[in-house]
Amino acid sequence: MKILSLMTAVLVGAVLIYGTLDMPKWGDPHSPANTHVSPYYLHHSLEHTATPNVVTSVLADYRGYDTLGETTVIFTAGMACILLLRAGRKRRGKGDV
Amino acid sequence: MFEFIVGHYNYWMYVGLMMIGFYAMMAKRNLIKKIIGMNIFQSAIILFYISTSVKKGDVTVPILEHAHDGHGAHAVDIMHYANPLPHVLMLTAIVVMVATLGVAVAVTIMIYRRYQTLEEDEIIMSIRRG
Amino acid sequence: MILPLDFILILFVFICAVAAITIKDLLSAVVILGAYSFLMCLLWTEMAAIDVAFTEASVSASIGTVLMIGCVAKTKRRSKD
Repeated sequence: MKILSLMTAVLVGAVLIYGTLDMPKWGDPHSPANTHVSPYYLHHSLEHTATPNVVTSVLADYRGYDTLGETTVIFTAGMACILLLRAGRKRRGKGDV
Repeated sequence: MFEFIVGHYNYWMYVGLMMIGFYAMMAKRNLIKKIIGMNIFQSAIILFYISTSVKKGDVTVPILEHAHDGHGAHAVDIMHYANPLPHVLMLTAIVVMVATLGVAVAVTIMIYRRYQTLEEDEIIMSIRRG
Repeated sequence: MILPLDFILILFVFICAVAAITIKDLLSAVVILGAYSFLMCLLWTEMAAIDVAFTEASVSASIGTVLMIGCVAKTKRRSKD
């Protein structure tokens, strides 16, 4: 079982390393990730939102619905934790009695 | 060849971290060890995304300088600031990672209350015995 | 980005990851995972991602470690592998 999991992990790693051979070099300023959308945010964030910190302006203004969805995820996780732990305690109490 | 290795070694390091987490998720029998492996896996993927935002040279954090003295908005040199977009997306991913960790911990405590053990093989034996 | 600092930090991250999954004492493994999170936070500061770094330091390294320590305290501390 251990050998099988080790082989699976090494196989996935080998495939991923084969995939990185075509990636742009680390820290290349002209890579596609650095030239496509983010220059727009860097140029316009100050006049649109008057916030010097670009990360917070994108997080709360340009992509506010994304943050709203994230809050929903955290609320769901918190409710799931509370319900799971309370349900377990109640069932165990009944079993003891 | 040396240039290629210096430009790509960080991707290989992240793949190695991901392999450590993946192996721990599959091969370890203890449930808390599996959760630790999941944490390492997620951190490695977030690290990969953050590393795409790095620019070489004279680069600072993505907070605009001279923002409040009136003439900063017209003279933003984008080669001087790191790419802010992966930072935003991974900020969301880190918080979701902790939410996942909380639910996993709750389920682990439930399993311990039901079966009095955290080892996967003992849980399966206990289920088979009825 | 500073290349030698990045290399040294990522080496420490590797050591922490391997130690966290091999140690048999679960409380030690969880504390080493907290150290792993703080080293990751340093790595992100070095990559000029400070917002991500302090989110990691406050959320993942502290709240995550507290959750895991609570889980170990509620269950068993010894592990078989």
